[in-house]
Amino acid sequence: MRWAIAVVVGAMAITACGSGGSGDLLIVYSGRSEELVQPLIDQFTESTSIEVEVRYAGSTDLAATLLQEGDSTEADVFFAQDPASLGAGAGMHTELPQSVLDSVDPRFADRNGRWVGTSGRVRTFIYNTDTSVELPQTIDDVTDPSWFGEVGVAPTNGSFLAFVSAMILERGEDATLEWLKALAANDPQDYPKNTPIVAAADAGEIEGGLVNHYYLLRLRAEGEGNDSENWFIPAGDVGTLVMPAGVGILSGTDVPESARQFVEFLLSEAAQTYFANETFEFPLIPEVQPSGGLPALEDLNTPDIDLSQLADVLDDATRLVSEAGLV
Amino acid sequence: MTAGPLTAPVETTPPPGRRKKASRGWWTATAIVLLPALIPPISLAWQVLTKGTGTTLPVGRLFELFVATVGLTSAVTVTALTLGTTTAWLTTRTDIPGRKVWMILAALPLVIPSYMAALTIIGATGPNGLISSWLGFEIPTPYGFVGAWLALSIFLAPMAHLIVSPALRLIDPATEEAATGLGASRSRVFFTVTLPQLRPALVSAGLMVGLYTISDFGAVSLLRFDTFTRAIFTLYAGQIDRRPAAALSLVLMVLALAILFIERRSRSRAGYTMTRTGRARRLLGIRGWARGLSLGFLAAFAFLSLVIPVSVLLFWLIRGLSGGIELGTFWDETVRSMGVSVAAAGLAALAALPVAMVTTWRRARLSGAVESTTWAIYSLPHITVGIAVVGFALTWARPLYQSVLLLVLTYVAMFLAQSVSTVQDSLRRVSPVLEDASRGLGRGPLQTLGRVTVPLVSPGLAAGAALVFLSVMKELPATLLLRPNGFETLAIRIWSSTGEGFYTRASAASLALLTVSIVPLLALTYRDLSD
Repeated sequence: MRWAIAVVVGAMAITACGSGGSGDLLIVYSGRSEELVQPLIDQFTESTSIEVEVRYAGSTDLAATLLQEGDSTEADVFFAQDPASLGAGAGMHTELPQSVLDSVDPRFADRNGRWVGTSGRVRTFIYNTDTSVELPQTIDDVTDPSWFGEVGVAPTNGSFLAFVSAMILERGEDATLEWLKALAANDPQDYPKNTPIVAAADAGEIEGGLVNHYYLLRLRAEGEGNDSENWFIPAGDVGTLVMPAGVGILSGTDVPESARQFVEFLLSEAAQTYFANETFEFPLIPEVQPSGGLPALEDLNTPDIDLSQLADVLDDATRLVSEAGLV
Repeated sequence: MTAGPLTAPVETTPPPGRRKKASRGWWTATAIVLLPALIPPISLAWQVLTKGTGTTLPVGRLFELFVATVGLTSAVTVTALTLGTTTAWLTTRTDIPGRKVWMILAALPLVIPSYMAALTIIGATGPNGLISSWLGFEIPTPYGFVGAWLALSIFLAPMAHLIVSPALRLIDPATEEAATGLGASRSRVFFTVTLPQLRPALVSAGLMVGLYTISDFGAVSLLRFDTFTRAIFTLYAGQIDRRPAAALSLVLMVLALAILFIERRSRSRAGYTMTRTGRARRLLGIRGWARGLSLGFLAAFAFLSLVIPVSVLLFWLIRGLSGGIELGTFWDETVRSMGVSVAAAGLAALAALPVAMVTTWRRARLSGAVESTTWAIYSLPHITVGIAVVGFALTWARPLYQSVLLLVLTYVAMFLAQSVSTVQDSLRRVSPVLEDASRGLGRGPLQTLGRVTVPLVSPGLAAGAALVFLSVMKELPATLLLRPNGFETLAIRIWSSTGEGFYTRASAASLALLTVSIVPLLALTYRDLSD
């Protein structure tokens, strides 16, 4: 009996040990996937000796968590996949230093300085090269019956919700709901994230999908992805929305200095080069150029949307997605 | 009777001993254990009632989810019961060769969690799958209902097997032999004598399988079949407003409790007394094609439930490693999984003692309520418990939020019924007179507890701990919601890697989980066998 108690106490001690106290720890809530950003975070720790503890989950999930936690949150930094979830909790963010905000193009930073973009991504329509269906010329073509049952979407994914938010800003709620309902009526294949959509399109399980541009390039870097292509919808509507992943500092942080260093690191040449060469996104500082055969951002036909406003309609976006029956 | 967690609470003839009035100590301890365990449903109801439901899903969608959930649950229950009863019957009642081996093989798939089952189905099928590589033709991956039904039925059949086997063993052979002697054919005996006596066990097994299916999160997520559970998580992770997820969770909790209620009602009141007759049962001899068919069935089941999953995992692992994929270690995740599993198992065994006491040896009028409460808590779907506890912690217990301690306590609450069940079984076999004797000889209550009671029930405590250990190792949804930052368990690693398409990594983590789980499971089935 005594040894049993000892074992139990020992087990608790071991597990509790693993999760250390906050202390000087920088706690990051990351809506970006571990596979993509952990190496970069490890680089940060190596160069600054600041220990980082990361909570990986979906961007929208983390935004909701932060709001639920409120002022008592232990998180120091929110590193999100899209400006909508980033901005959803902007009231909890502190204003970033002007030098940080000035390092990127103004359209990739929050108007009130609550978050800054770290890398650019473009929404794209991935398609299997064997498909005989005519590729969409506008975003509305995606709901055409010729794509019935063949389009992959990730309705809870931050980027998708940001895209829906942008549509609300561009077209209004009613038109957006109509589009979502048309999509839902077209038997979309739903996935939890973007990566499986790209893999499925490449494998021929689906003919197309709504994702971000860089997933295919990453797949190709691993030797796959030869049976699919990125299609940038020519109309230049929200189908080719450009938006950054971004980062914000929580005002309740107990390590503001470390948090600031983390943000500055993400905008440093080292990190921006990582985003360009490893994740195939668009770097946002002028010193680094995109790679992987990508054109400059300015050369893409993309819509003109005020990204700072996306967060204001995120709630409506999730509500409409739910109303349309996509979740 | 064998100690199964899952055994139907059978009314055995109680061993001799005075019925003692419940001592306050035991009842206080029971209250300390059970009252906190009631927090999840109560705080969730409070949350939803005070904060509102937000914008929930349209009624049409709710109805769709209801039909899907009930449909899947019914299909899985029928299939798993059929498979499990067949394996149970073949291994306990017939004389097929290698009975003991088949018994173990039939129970073994219990180590495989539903999300791993889903992973192996995905990994076996599709253009890159095992089947496509080995046999040349491609079976399209059965996403949706078919996949979920397959994954759950095959891997829940062992649960039914473990519940039905002891019941089959306990049926008095005299009743069946009498029927045969009176001229009934074999099938008539089965349907009119055996099956009715199996009813409590079948109902119990059906309940277990049904509740597990309703609660299942991993398989339906990976195989993309929308049940209530999947919709709850989608709402939770995909909306800024947490209220719709909480509201739907409450609905699901009520559904689970309704099923439990129905089962309790339908529990046979005919009161079959199963006494030990001491007569050995004559095993049914099957020959010829029937024997071949039976062996074939058992072999096919073992193949589907054990050989294929492990093969798929190894296939992906080897292929990935030789393709140059770097895995890193799973040491951290393994230590964490084992750490919380051992802690929860130990606490659950300890906590089970008072609850088992007041429902077995020291029954009083409240004992029925205690028993029902324990099972009610067990029946709550894990994702709903997770959502409830997160809400509770943020409002009333902030220091506990995102702590390992809260995670372990939640595990204990969720799986308490399993350890209570095994300790109850142990207590039923032993006479309370021994405790009385110890007190009569001058030992105090604590001494009696430590020197007499606990050693007497130690098999039950150990079995309960083993069961809870296995359950916690496999647990996914509550862990996802409650874990501290950076605290990944093997279960989470498998699920997130599969979700992102990193099948090699998922397979490696799966094999680690299986390796850790196999020892307690073998210990449990060995106990079962040696009875």
